[in-house]
Amino acid sequence: MQITVSLHGVIRIDRFKLKTLTYPDGSRVQKVIDDLQIPATLLGTILINKAHAKSTDILHDGDTLMILPLLEGG
Amino acid sequence: MKIETTDPVSHPELIFYRRCTIDLKTGKQTMEDVPCQNLEDVLGGFGRSFQMLAKREIKRAYCRENPLIINTGLLTGSSAMTGLRTYFSSYSPIKGSKAGLPAAMWSAGSGKFGAKFKWTGLDELILENCAEKPLYILIRETPGGPQVELKAADHLLGLSTHNKIMTLYQEYPDAHFAAIGPAGEHWETVFMGSVALSTVNQLKSGDDKLRFAGRGGMGSMMGYKNIVALVAQSKDKNIPITAPVKEVHTQVIQGGGSARLQPIKRGGGGGTWAAYEVMQPFHAVPVNNYRPQGNDLPEKLFRENVEKEYDIESAACYRCGITCHNYIYDRNDDGSRGDFIAKFDYEPLNLMGTNIGIHDAGQAGRLIHLCDNFGVDAISMGVTISYLLSYNERHPEHPLFNGATFGDYEKIHELISMAGEGKLPGVGKGSMRLSQLMGETDYAYHIKGLEIAAYQPETNPGYCWAIAGGHMSMGSYGTLIREGLSDVDSWVKVITEDKLHIVGFDLIGLCKFFDITQGIGTDKIATILKSDFNLDVDPLKIKAAVRRSFLLGMALEFRQGYTKEEFSLPAEVANNPNPNIDLPNVSSPEFMTELSEKVWAVFDKELEDVL
Repeated sequence: MQITVSLHGVIRIDRFKLKTLTYPDGSRVQKVIDDLQIPATLLGTILINKAHAKSTDILHDGDTLMILPLLEGG
Repeated sequence: MKIETTDPVSHPELIFYRRCTIDLKTGKQTMEDVPCQNLEDVLGGFGRSFQMLAKREIKRAYCRENPLIINTGLLTGSSAMTGLRTYFSSYSPIKGSKAGLPAAMWSAGSGKFGAKFKWTGLDELILENCAEKPLYILIRETPGGPQVELKAADHLLGLSTHNKIMTLYQEYPDAHFAAIGPAGEHWETVFMGSVALSTVNQLKSGDDKLRFAGRGGMGSMMGYKNIVALVAQSKDKNIPITAPVKEVHTQVIQGGGSARLQPIKRGGGGGTWAAYEVMQPFHAVPVNNYRPQGNDLPEKLFRENVEKEYDIESAACYRCGITCHNYIYDRNDDGSRGDFIAKFDYEPLNLMGTNIGIHDAGQAGRLIHLCDNFGVDAISMGVTISYLLSYNERHPEHPLFNGATFGDYEKIHELISMAGEGKLPGVGKGSMRLSQLMGETDYAYHIKGLEIAAYQPETNPGYCWAIAGGHMSMGSYGTLIREGLSDVDSWVKVITEDKLHIVGFDLIGLCKFFDITQGIGTDKIATILKSDFNLDVDPLKIKAAVRRSFLLGMALEFRQGYTKEEFSLPAEVANNPNPNIDLPNVSSPEFMTELSEKVWAVFDKELEDVL
């Protein structure tokens, strides 16, 4: 299956902003996170097709996965 | 401070805060060791000051019976990382009910003043009445204990916050300082005066790298009392960091919320500025008086764009490993670092930038710099200015003041300068009063009289139940974006259980970034209390003390005339919903009605016996 991965903020550094990636059917979000080596300490919000999601959620062909750092204010 | 017990819960009366009370009219001082009454008294900060304020019936902020309480937390000046906080508490000139009564407020600031203050041997300073001439207060460490002196301050009048501090530094090179600016000196027409606190970076570099106790007009209160500065002169006490505390610090830096605030080159998120890039995909970055337009305008202040033209430096507070904030500098033609412009934190950056139509980082930085040096709360100033600009946009034929519009840097600069000099009370007294004067209150982004922070109210119904600054006293501002919670019951839990605990840091003397997600009712804090003070405290008891302090703050709001109707979001949110914000709707009238009913069902029961 093909998914579009959109990275935001510091997560983009040394990676990319937007890319289409190919994954086996049934792959979970965590697989993408692991492949991209996104540290847990930076991981914030996960969205699939603009809806909040979890790292254990399964991806489907054509999904857009957004990964954002955590929001901290001040 | 004197500690004669290991059990502060059962025996708070065996823990004593050293307090100096000054009657500024007569000059009389009372120095005493005051026994604590309960655990929140022991923890300190507003846990103490609000109990004192609760005993006063205050109808006007600017009255002689309204004290200004300057204190520290138990961990200020301790071995704990971020243990730097000083607190300023009083009935506020800017935050007040529709009944016309001032709200009890506190404000917190870092820098090194708090630690130096604590190291003099004094824990708390209460200022009663007003001095007849401008003074500064010198607090000195002596072999016989802390000494407090009142000194003439005529030579400091009119100086910026930075110049006041640097002037005093010449005389007291081993001290740190708290000072008001011209804004606080003009307290009659400026209700949002802040207190500037000196930093090691500032004194070493000569740059105005200050910290602030910004919210609630505590600088205006200091000015009302004719106190323009405080000097804390003491030897540094470098308390040895034990192995357990070192382990706690490692947890703070490597885990939880603070890791994300670390500099990018250390693998962190780059500070609070990073909030821009997290909120923009949802079009939730405030733009032009909290009306995001669904476009890419906020991206002009993304770090990657700012770095094309300006130099950015990460910086830390004294002895802090979190290194959460950034300084912005001009860049010279040869690529070298130029002049310092300002400290870049998310709130002032947005409220002096995107939210007033300013999209150039240097201009936003210079407006922040202006607020810092006039000694005015950048949040309240930014939101009052944005109200004014939105008014002028709606009324181009009859604009207010100089007719400034969104993005008009020169005119906005003029407005801030005039307000900071006390010449523009329409701005200096805040957005609530300005909007009431203009008869257009829908567009004023305050809640209960205090301007909100740089998070869209559509994303944070929790704002309504914050008891002090919107983001410092209810940590719900990131919840919708982070977790997507959109049902009422989840938000009831967020407001009544989870996120009010952020106020705990404003008891104990620590910065919120120590552990923003967990609060202070944790094993980490219990470890530090054991290590530094040999105190055995169950984290659940700490949590309970924090909750009691929060509820006291809420009870005081009702006593000062607030009604439940005032616990509501700015009216424009409901009357003119913004279709551009790409998030679940947690601010509709229906949602807010149901949320309010359920939140009050929880709080009402607990508030019954508070006062």
